[in-house]
Amino acid sequence: MSAETVQAIIDDLGALLLFTMILIVAASQISRAIYAVAAQSFLIAIAGAVLATATGNVDLWVIAGVTLVVKATLLPWVLHWVVRRMNVRREVEPVIPVAATLALAVAVVVMSFHLSASLGTVRQAITGNALPVGIALTLSGVLVMATRKTALTQMVGLFASENGIFFTAMAVTQGMPLIIEIGVILDVILAALVMTIMVLRVRSTVDADIADLDRLKG
Amino acid sequence: MTGERPIELVLLEMALLVLLGPLVTGFIQKLKARLQCRQGAAIVQPYRDLAKLFRKGTVQAVTASGFFRSIPVLVLAATVAAGALVPVLRAGPPAFPLGDALMLLGLLALARFLTAIGAFDAGGAFGGMGASREMTIAPLVEPVLMMVVFSTAVAAGTTELGALSAHRGTSWILDWHAADFLGFAAMLVLLPAETGRIPVDNPDTHLELTMLHEGMLLEHSGPGLGCMVLASHTRQIVTLGLVAALFFPIVSYGAGAADLLVGAGAFAAKILVLAVFLALVESSYAKLRLFRVPQYLGIGFVCALTALALRIL
Amino acid sequence: MAETLLWVLPLVPSVTALAMLTTRKRRILSGLDVGGSAVLFALTLVLAREVAAGGPRSIGVFRIDDLGLVFLLLLVVLTLTVSIYTVGWLRQAVAVGNMKAESLRSYFALVHAFVATMVVTVLADNLGVLWIAMEGTTITSAVLIGYHGHRHGLEAAWKYIIVTTIGISFGLFGTVLVYAAAADVMGSAGTMSWSAIMQVAPTLDPGIVRIGFIFVMIGYGTKAGLAPMHLWLPDAHSQAPTPVSALLSGVLIKCALLAIIRFQTIAAAACGPAFAEEVLLVFGLISVVVATPFILVQRDLKRLLGYHSVEHVGIVALGLGFGGAVGTYGALLHVVNHGITKALAFFAAGTAIARYGSRDMRAIRGLAAVAPIGATLLMLAALSLAGTPPFSIFVSELMVLRAGIGHGHWVAIAIFLVMVVVIFAGLLHHAGAMVFGEPRGAGRRTEAWSPLLAMLLLAAIMVLMGLTIPASFDGILRRATEVVVG
Repeated sequence: MSAETVQAIIDDLGALLLFTMILIVAASQISRAIYAVAAQSFLIAIAGAVLATATGNVDLWVIAGVTLVVKATLLPWVLHWVVRRMNVRREVEPVIPVAATLALAVAVVVMSFHLSASLGTVRQAITGNALPVGIALTLSGVLVMATRKTALTQMVGLFASENGIFFTAMAVTQGMPLIIEIGVILDVILAALVMTIMVLRVRSTVDADIADLDRLKG
Repeated sequence: MTGERPIELVLLEMALLVLLGPLVTGFIQKLKARLQCRQGAAIVQPYRDLAKLFRKGTVQAVTASGFFRSIPVLVLAATVAAGALVPVLRAGPPAFPLGDALMLLGLLALARFLTAIGAFDAGGAFGGMGASREMTIAPLVEPVLMMVVFSTAVAAGTTELGALSAHRGTSWILDWHAADFLGFAAMLVLLPAETGRIPVDNPDTHLELTMLHEGMLLEHSGPGLGCMVLASHTRQIVTLGLVAALFFPIVSYGAGAADLLVGAGAFAAKILVLAVFLALVESSYAKLRLFRVPQYLGIGFVCALTALALRIL
Repeated sequence: MAETLLWVLPLVPSVTALAMLTTRKRRILSGLDVGGSAVLFALTLVLAREVAAGGPRSIGVFRIDDLGLVFLLLLVVLTLTVSIYTVGWLRQAVAVGNMKAESLRSYFALVHAFVATMVVTVLADNLGVLWIAMEGTTITSAVLIGYHGHRHGLEAAWKYIIVTTIGISFGLFGTVLVYAAAADVMGSAGTMSWSAIMQVAPTLDPGIVRIGFIFVMIGYGTKAGLAPMHLWLPDAHSQAPTPVSALLSGVLIKCALLAIIRFQTIAAAACGPAFAEEVLLVFGLISVVVATPFILVQRDLKRLLGYHSVEHVGIVALGLGFGGAVGTYGALLHVVNHGITKALAFFAAGTAIARYGSRDMRAIRGLAAVAPIGATLLMLAALSLAGTPPFSIFVSELMVLRAGIGHGHWVAIAIFLVMVVVIFAGLLHHAGAMVFGEPRGAGRRTEAWSPLLAMLLLAAIMVLMGLTIPASFDGILRRATEVVVG
């Protein structure tokens, strides 16, 4: 594949990633958000495969595969399992109205593009629009984590945020060293597991949702 | 590059759109019925309904003014005029000054406005309610449509639909810029709103809690109602045609009869794809509460804005 | 030898953690705990000698230089004292039912896993490994914070894991950006190794490094407890079991500071020192200012100490922000001093809380009458935290101040001084009320030996560092300062 084709495909995938991110921000039900983040991870895996074909970097294939298995399949499945099996609430329970979050997300996207447009030659080290899209994804993921009360939505935000970082990391010339990426994925899995256990523990020991815990102040 | 479209062709296309509008509705209804494991009415049912309506007499509310009677005709005229702006058989700008995509949106908005005015004029409670709801949603939809048009127009350097369509070229996704994906996504989100379908509106019901567009038609009857219904069929196909012109590839550039036939087939295929999409959405989603609609349309807004940002930044 | 030690060092707590899983007996577990920490301590001393003699060493993704050594020494000293403290603390906690006797092994295993991840953060040369280990600390310590399993503990743990994970994703993004800048310069030989990036740092694209540094600053700053990202800190510090609080406050937030310092050196080389210093200065000032009102009105003893950590992390950031050899030396010294003193304060507070059965400072009265040694140590810790001479924190705060005056940051100095004076008054007021007065709600019991031993050790170090800094440690600090300032 020529460099232009790769760049075009990465840009297109970036647009689709932004679309899934918008769906996550706008989702009013947890299960929708989970589907959206699974789709997002799937797109990340495709991006990995495209970049692997283009650069001939075997590590990227591994990363794409791991992303597909873990982040696009396993983690969403676990989240769905928690939603279905445990008696957790299914609405996302925003702290501020969803419309306001959407407006903030727009601001984030525009700011990200503006920021990376101000960068100089180093943009060449990162394919296409991966940098602004990555920044936008990361920041919107954080936005979701900060503006939702329910535990599972916060986890979805975390995954989205992580996806943004991965997207940028993949698009850096050569990608990050394999061992680091694997380590990062492992950490994400562990964090997800610990969070899931906490959700279940809160449910079983104090019979409440994480969103109900708001006593610590001052 | 393609040639210009002569006036005969434009008129032919306009007539085609008006004639085929009910067919699209019929097709969607049939597909929905099949998806819900029903037999459903025949595809030509909308034509029969129209024929029936045009045969009937007119009854009018005592509170309605004389203006009320002219509303259906004006609405239909505005919608049909909008239809003239959509390229059907071939891409390419018209050979004479006609109007562009913004004109099209303006005409559709005018039709919407007239419908709402008519509903208020009749003085019925449901009409007023439907109109006020419609007017709540319209300001959320129209700017976004405008932004989607702009996001493609920026690349093509024109807002004329025929030229936009020609600029799109023959290769489809391969040629899409990142902004096109987001613009298309925004369009898909808005499509049910613009065509008055689930999850924004429900075309099948006359239940006062759910209806938007249908509420405004309650006071019309006979040929007047026929005009209104025909206008909404036309509006639907025009909107689909707008999406097709903005985002779908063109098949033939030529001006010969064979090329026109191929173009007609291609257009039918594009409309078919979008109609299937609408039927699928209608079958798989529930109607949103009215207060949730702005949030849903917000998705479209953000997508369109992002698409525009991608183009400009 | 030193190279071998580099990879043996993280293994020691890991192996200890695994060994913990084999038994359920409290005495054996405590023995393993102290033993593992002592081995770690001894090995670190050997490593310190090697580094003092032969300079920085590296193997694979690990590397030790004098900068890392400062933090490593703090880490092992606190780990050892925490282990000693835990012996007596645990006996009491099991007796009153705060800790379940049957689940002790998982507690010990987690503590050592936590220590292992912190050792890796200190030793990591590869910035990716640094991040992975940092996230590892989050995961292990989150479980520890919620260990008591009651409502507040779980809430604090959830808040902690969410806030720090948000933060740390910023950190990873910053890391990726810096890596992208390095890959741009180095081409296909791109690497995430800090020492390798430092060699090309002056040629990195300043624009992207600047954005990267801000991301890292927010990311690791969250973990370090810098305001306004400190939201998790008072909750976590107050709800965690006392030994864990001491580790969190004494070591963990310092590890995050080390990560910030590593990136600061890169940023300083790529876009000039002024930019990084300005960012640090702003965050430092915000932290000092934000912490003050909460310290004044606080009623929960452990929360008070938590907010105090925010203030002191702010002071460290100020020292780094004032820059220069004096500021950096002062900041590094403050890292050590605050770690030691804060652990002492948490120990003393934990003992007092256990005695009165409440964290509310209004309930703790007349400690001097019921537990004279503990009360003296608590007062000493409070005096030192408030910055009274001749204790160690006074020295490092003075150095930070001197650096600020030397570089003419008058506004920052003025704010800093006002806040320090206010906090001084507030803290002594709180401590005085607890230590003196009529004892209520607690009888005079003998004080357990192991917590006292741990506290006396720390107090000795605290006083020693206040009176004179040992020449060997001074050497390490000086060389560490050179690593940062160049």
